[in-house]
Amino acid sequence: MNIEAIFQRIYDLPFADAIRQSSSLFPILESIHVIALTLVFGTIAIVDLRLLGIRLHRSSAKSLIAELLPYTWGAFALAVVSGGLLFSSNAVLYAQNAQFQAKMVLILLAGINMLAFHSTVFRRIADWDAQGTPPAAARLAGLSSIALWSAVIVCGRWVGFTLSPF
Amino acid sequence: MQSFSDWLYATALSTTLRETSWVVPGLQSIHILALAFLVGSALVTDLRLAGVLATDVDQGSVIKAYFSRIFNALLVLLLSGSLLVLIEPGRTLGNTLFWTKMGLILTAVALTWLLKRPLIASEGDAARPVPPYIKLVGWLSLLIWIAAIFCGRWIAYT
Repeated sequence: MNIEAIFQRIYDLPFADAIRQSSSLFPILESIHVIALTLVFGTIAIVDLRLLGIRLHRSSAKSLIAELLPYTWGAFALAVVSGGLLFSSNAVLYAQNAQFQAKMVLILLAGINMLAFHSTVFRRIADWDAQGTPPAAARLAGLSSIALWSAVIVCGRWVGFTLSPF
Repeated sequence: MQSFSDWLYATALSTTLRETSWVVPGLQSIHILALAFLVGSALVTDLRLAGVLATDVDQGSVIKAYFSRIFNALLVLLLSGSLLVLIEPGRTLGNTLFWTKMGLILTAVALTWLLKRPLIASEGDAARPVPPYIKLVGWLSLLIWIAAIFCGRWIAYT
């Protein structure tokens, strides 16, 4: 089965059809998606700023990450589910949309950036957690994260201007 | 309101901005980015007041850390939002949901200014008693912001 047929099957799913038939499901899902994504980026940005040396409500980057990560993941799961449902309603055209494709690549890059941070400089966090300004590798991870997630949001908003809902 | 809206729509600035393809998506992107900073700050502050998050840090310090950030984000939201209204006044000024959103934002700002700001005075003093209703203020504030976002997204559909 080719990739286009897969997206067509997603489009044909009963819930995708239900979203297309309803006048309120799409905006409800969009609202949930906006709340979820602002929670994702809002909590990530607090950690990123700390990595850049800007302290908000606590100085330990380690505690801050442990404290906010569950909220980031919870909101991310909500964004994936609401986004996945929005996608299903017009799967074939979204999949072909350049801005949508760029957004998916950027999310992947943001994930790689996070993995790289957690598998390198984060392992030595005990050595630098007390410092106001983290090492260059951590600052770079923070800056990349802010840049990538901002670009994700811009691409996401842009999708809506290139493709009207179904 | 209708005639004001028509006049605004016809102004040279509104027309120019409307006819430049990247202006509206650009402004909306800025609006959402600023919204994310606001939501992150509101989440930590309000959940602290509710007694859910960062309970080892005193309330005054948490509010102080995010207070100016909330108002900076609001300023960017106000500027980008005003330009969006200028570009498409008919979509917003005659829309009940838009005014509901404004009412919700004013309520959340009033809660922040009148009930949270005074707590900054107790910064660093974990022993200082806080008003018994402050937990409720935290939950209420979070709920109001979420409702305002819902209204904001629905403006496009009404």
